[in-house]
Amino acid sequence: MGIKFEQVNYAYRGPDGQKYLALANINLPIGETGEFITLIGETGSGKTTLVQHMNALLVPDTGSVTVLGVKVTKEAVAKKRIKLNPIRKKVGLVFQFPEYQLFEETVLKDIIFGPKNFGVPEAEAKALAHELIKVVGLDESYLSRSPFNLSGGEKKRVSIAGILAMEPDILILDEPTSGLDPMGRDELLTVFNRIHTTLNKTIILITHDMNTVYRYAKRALVMRSGYLVYDGDPQALFSRKNIENWNLETPDLLALQQLISSELGFKFPHTAKTEEDLLTMLEAVIA
Amino acid sequence: MIEIRDLSFEYQTGKPVLHDINLSIKKGEWVTILGHNGSGKSTLSKLIVGLLKPKTGSVVVDGLTLSHDTVHAIRRKVGIVFQNPDNQFVGVTVRDDIAFGLENLQVPREDMIERIERFAQKVGMTEFLNKEPHALSGGQKQRVAIAGILAMDTDVIIFDEATSMLDPKGRRMIVDYMRQLNREGVTILTITHDMKEAVLSDRIVILKEGKILLDDQAELVLNNRDMLEQSNLELLLPLRVRHALKERGLKHPELEALLWASSSNK
Repeated sequence: MGIKFEQVNYAYRGPDGQKYLALANINLPIGETGEFITLIGETGSGKTTLVQHMNALLVPDTGSVTVLGVKVTKEAVAKKRIKLNPIRKKVGLVFQFPEYQLFEETVLKDIIFGPKNFGVPEAEAKALAHELIKVVGLDESYLSRSPFNLSGGEKKRVSIAGILAMEPDILILDEPTSGLDPMGRDELLTVFNRIHTTLNKTIILITHDMNTVYRYAKRALVMRSGYLVYDGDPQALFSRKNIENWNLETPDLLALQQLISSELGFKFPHTAKTEEDLLTMLEAVIA
Repeated sequence: MIEIRDLSFEYQTGKPVLHDINLSIKKGEWVTILGHNGSGKSTLSKLIVGLLKPKTGSVVVDGLTLSHDTVHAIRRKVGIVFQNPDNQFVGVTVRDDIAFGLENLQVPREDMIERIERFAQKVGMTEFLNKEPHALSGGQKQRVAIAGILAMDTDVIIFDEATSMLDPKGRRMIVDYMRQLNREGVTILTITHDMKEAVLSDRIVILKEGKILLDDQAELVLNNRDMLEQSNLELLLPLRVRHALKERGLKHPELEALLWASSSNK
C-alpha cells in the first residue's frame, strides 16, 4: 500500500481564532504504483489539506495516514518516533504556485537543490537534471538560464523537474495547469501521463478542469466541505445526476455527445472517451 | 473609449514585449485579448491603467492621454480585476476592501456607506460585508474585487485572466457578471486564453509575441484554426469536430449547423 488514510480528521484555526473543519473522517487507500488519480471539488473543500497529509506536511488531529509503511499520527510526530524527511522525499508534492519556490541563479542549480540536500553526489544530480529537463519538455539550454526570466509555464516545468529529481515514488501536483494556455496545458499533461505510463508511478492531480479528469484519470476523488464524497471511475462520476451539487461540470466531450444524441437522435454504441473516439462513431452514423 | 497608438514596451532593452500596438475600443464594446503565455497580453492591460510606462506610443482613455498627471483620473474610468484573487486584498474586512478605492477618491462618508451597500448587494456579497476576505472562496473574492471597481463607477473593466484560478462555480459566477455589466453599458476587456470566455465577446484580438496577429469579429476569429493554433490556442471542441468531419469528407448539414450553433453564444 502506498498511502492509507484511516479515520482522518483535521481542523485548522483561522486568523479569527475559529476552528474550521478541513477533513472529516477520511478513509482512503492509494496504490504505491500505477494510479492516475484526479482530486476535484470546489475551492475550500479540503483538497489541498488532503494532499498535504500525503507527505506529512500536515499531521491528522485524529486518525492516521500511513505513507509507504510509516504510520503518521499526531502522537508519533509529537514524540518524534518517526522521521518525516524520507516521506517527503518519496512523496513529491508540487505546490499550486511552484514558480514562487524557485530561488537559485540558474535552472540547473534549482533542479539539483533537492537531491543535493538529500545527499545525492553533485555529478549524479547534474546528470539527472540534464535528463529531467527533457522529460518536462524543455531543452538543455534552459539549464544555464535564470529561472526568473522564464514564462509561467516554463517555471512550472522547472519546478516539476526539481521534484522529479528527488525521484519520488508518488507524485502529487496541486493545480499544475491553472493559468497555462491550452498548448502549455496539454504538453504538461502529456508529461505527467508519460511519467505515469513509462515509470508506472502513481500520480495525484488536483484540478478544476473536468476535461483533464475525463481524459486522463483512472480514478476520481471528489471532496466537498471536508468529506470525501466520491471515489471511483471518472466516467461513472459524470453520468451521475447530482454533479452540479458538487460544483462539477460535465466535460466538453460528454456534453457534446449528449447534445448530438438529443438534438439529432444519433445512436452511439458507447460514451466517447476521446475526440477521436467520437469522430469514429460519428463517421459510422453518417455513413 | 480606449485608443492605443503605436504602443511599444520592453522590460529589458532590446527585448520588446509589445511592439507597435494599435487598438481602438468603443464604448460599450466587449473585446477579448487572446494570446499564449508570454504573448504580452497582461503587459498590455497594465499599460492601459498606467501600472507600466510605455517605451513609445500613447494610451488615450475617454479623451484623456495617459500620463503622470492623468493616471489617477484614468484609474477612475478603468478598473482591473487580476488573476489571483488573493493578491488584491488590502482591507481587514470585505467592507474595508470595497471602501479602499472610495477613500482614495475622497468620497464623503455618507455617500461611501451607501455605495458600499449598493454594490455589495449587486454582486450578492451583502451578508459577507463584515467577514474577513480570507474566509471567502476565490469566486467570492473576485466578486468583492468587482464590487470595489463598480463602487468607483468606472466605465471600463479589464478582467485580466480573472477566472483562470477559479473553480467551475466561481468561473460561471464571474462570467455572468461580465455579461450583465456589458448589457448595462460597461465596456469590457477580457484577457484570457479560455475560448469559452472569448466566445462571449463582440470582438477578439489575438496577440502573438507582442504583436497583433488578428483583430476581427469574434465569430470569425473563433473559427480561424490556423491563426489560433499558431498562437498556442485551440478551436472550441464543436468546431474542432466540425473541421475534422470536413477533412474526412463527411457531410451532414444538420450536424454541422448544430456544431456551429453550440459554439456560439449569440
